[in-house]
Amino acid sequence: MLPEWMKESDRYVPPKDGGTFAVKTIKTIGDIMSRVKVQRGHEKKHCLPAELKLMILLVLLVLTSVTQNGLVLMGIAAVVLFYLSTWPARDLWGIIKTSLSAMALSFVILLPAMIMNPAGIPNNLVLMTKVFFCVSMVGIFNHTSQWNHVTGALAFFHIPGIFIFTLDMTLKYMVLLGNLIRDLLTSMTLRAVGRHDRKYASVGGVMGVTFIRGTEMNTRMYEAMKCRGFTGDYGKL
Amino acid sequence: MSFIELRDITFRYEGEESPVLSGFSMSAERGSCLIIEGDNGSGKTTLLRILSALSFPEKGSFVFDGCDITEKYMKVNMNSKLFHKRVGYLFQDPDIMLFNARVRDEIAFGPRQMGLGDEEVDKRVRDCMELFDIEKLSDKAPYHLSGGQKKRVAFASVMALNPEVLLLDEPYAGLDRKSREQLTAFLTELKRAGKTLLIASHDSEILSGIYDERLVMM
Amino acid sequence: MHIPENYLAPATCAVMTAAMVPVWAHAVKKVDVELPKEKIPMIGVGAAFSFLGMMFNVPLVGGTTGHAVGGTLIALLFGPDAACIAVSIALLLQAVIFGDGGILAFGANCFNMAFILPYVGYWIYSAIVRMFGGPERTKSAHHYIAAAVGSYIGINAAAFFAAVEFGLQPMLFKDAAGNALYCPYDLSVSIPAMMIPHLVVAGVVEAVFTVVIFAFVRTTAPDLTYDAIKGYAPARADNKKPIPVFALVAVLIAATPLGLLATGTAWGEWGADEIADIVTNGSALGYTPTGLANGWSLNVPMPDYTVGGMGEVAAYILSAIIGTALLIIIFKLISIPMKGRREIHAS
Repeated sequence: MLPEWMKESDRYVPPKDGGTFAVKTIKTIGDIMSRVKVQRGHEKKHCLPAELKLMILLVLLVLTSVTQNGLVLMGIAAVVLFYLSTWPARDLWGIIKTSLSAMALSFVILLPAMIMNPAGIPNNLVLMTKVFFCVSMVGIFNHTSQWNHVTGALAFFHIPGIFIFTLDMTLKYMVLLGNLIRDLLTSMTLRAVGRHDRKYASVGGVMGVTFIRGTEMNTRMYEAMKCRGFTGDYGKL
Repeated sequence: MSFIELRDITFRYEGEESPVLSGFSMSAERGSCLIIEGDNGSGKTTLLRILSALSFPEKGSFVFDGCDITEKYMKVNMNSKLFHKRVGYLFQDPDIMLFNARVRDEIAFGPRQMGLGDEEVDKRVRDCMELFDIEKLSDKAPYHLSGGQKKRVAFASVMALNPEVLLLDEPYAGLDRKSREQLTAFLTELKRAGKTLLIASHDSEILSGIYDERLVMM
Repeated sequence: MHIPENYLAPATCAVMTAAMVPVWAHAVKKVDVELPKEKIPMIGVGAAFSFLGMMFNVPLVGGTTGHAVGGTLIALLFGPDAACIAVSIALLLQAVIFGDGGILAFGANCFNMAFILPYVGYWIYSAIVRMFGGPERTKSAHHYIAAAVGSYIGINAAAFFAAVEFGLQPMLFKDAAGNALYCPYDLSVSIPAMMIPHLVVAGVVEAVFTVVIFAFVRTTAPDLTYDAIKGYAPARADNKKPIPVFALVAVLIAATPLGLLATGTAWGEWGADEIADIVTNGSALGYTPTGLANGWSLNVPMPDYTVGGMGEVAAYILSAIIGTALLIIIFKLISIPMKGRREIHAS
């Protein structure tokens, strides 16, 4: 039998304020998921092999960071901007947005230095420019490379198999656990219809459950690996 | 105008070419029971997500009790809280609904949010545990339970809010025969008490005595 | 706390990465010995958990939120050595996927957040637990106090190292005119600028985040924490030794710049009047005596950014390319809202 209170409707007026941390986290996690999962297919058939791209990226990053030569920096800028200008607008914005926000952050950080020591302003501006291009380059690499190719590229650099295996596991669990956190928080907001007095208990709950579930999934996966003949030799993976 | 009304809904997931729903309309009266059937991937869960204001259609409108439910409307804290208080949603996977350390706290989460007094909260928790036959689990950690038990705890935690509308995503999945019968009896009572039920399910036979309308999604 | 690209000189980055190599080697070796085979893929879970934890918005007062690093928490759940590897991987992915933290600065970021943070945090946690009578006999509340203190000190230690890394830049790397090439703030600025927010806000966020999750796992699934895992594989005699040794090395590294500090501006004496003093003197932000800095500064091939002589033609060409490319990019970006509208109509 239904209890009496369930037979009638409550007259309920929710309070005005309320925590937004769940909503914010759902947004952040959703953002990650879309970046990890969707490579948006910008990686073209004819593109450079990932190991070469990774090498070029590292060389360019070091060069950008080391150089005190205006011409070299301009050259890098020209290459990056020229390449970006051939991209479709939508993909372009994804890269530029990140780079601009990184540069804006640098500006804020460097502002006091520029005010206190005007003589150093040119160097500070160069620093901001370098930040912009470094973030752009990483963004380009990330946007044009699929993850399995990136981890494959690491094998080319003789990075041990166990490390690459762990990296692949991480990416897999990032998606699985990220979805879990997002879903838990979503279902929580559906029931969080008033004043959230125990926010921290909820944070502990959501992340705690995520940890426990991650452990369980891992045990299952290892069992499945054993069933398929895995002997525990990670070197062969 | 109906209590719940969807008009000409088009919805697609981000990055997907073809929409899951296009030009979809439906309505439900207060106190009615609607079964939503359809193959896997036909958009049942998407529909429930729209009805619970978790997703918003790119075209078309969703009216609930005379109120236009839009993304902007739901951005207002008070509106979304009142909406979620009135519309309960039971997810298909109970695991994602359980994040408290004990079954008791899980069920008390909603009533505590509503700012009810301790006694009232206790009463609701006790009643709900009795209703779903989970008194013995009171002090257990929810995710150490079996699938069917988790489902009961999740449902109990939704019912503790006493919503007027219930969106149930495959409530029968993973339940044994006895639990299925209990659930049907419970849903019958809810309908008698005037709750609006929207149930996505493959088991329309078991609900044949309850539902007013069957909606088959393509 | 993620140090971005270009704030640290490549030389500093190289040194920090080199410093991480033995730490990683040590951690891998320890994990190999300590963790049972079926727990190895757990590091992947740990890294994913660490990555997602850094994304989690922790509620603060009045609707605001902050992020935690969670290094100590990972150490409490997975053990400090596994935590070192897990956090390193999380940082690597952050640098590559988000540009959050530089790729060249990866070594430095790992040093602060994957080495100092989890080891210091865990070491303090276990020291406090031992003080209360060892893992078995200590009350739960004491475990949580230990976790709170450990994570608070852990993140502040990490922030301190980051501050030192920043603060050394203007002393070591400047152009001929004496202006900083990388981070322009010296220790007298970088230390308070980093430490005050961490002591007041970030440390608290970290402690809260650590305790609530650790408490949840300990009450609901106590067999999953590192304390429990260690129970299965009894600690060997030399088990605890490496951590104090590392801590000693860390303290030594930290102490070196403190010596430099003494010649310039001292700890905590940095105040408003002093800034004014510096500004009126027209010199850069309290640089340390030049003799010390000159010995280290790089020999800069082209001190100025003025492009003259031979490079003039090249500069024009490059400017033209940059200008054209920028115009194309801007036009494309402007077209986004229009295109979006058209696409919706088309569908």
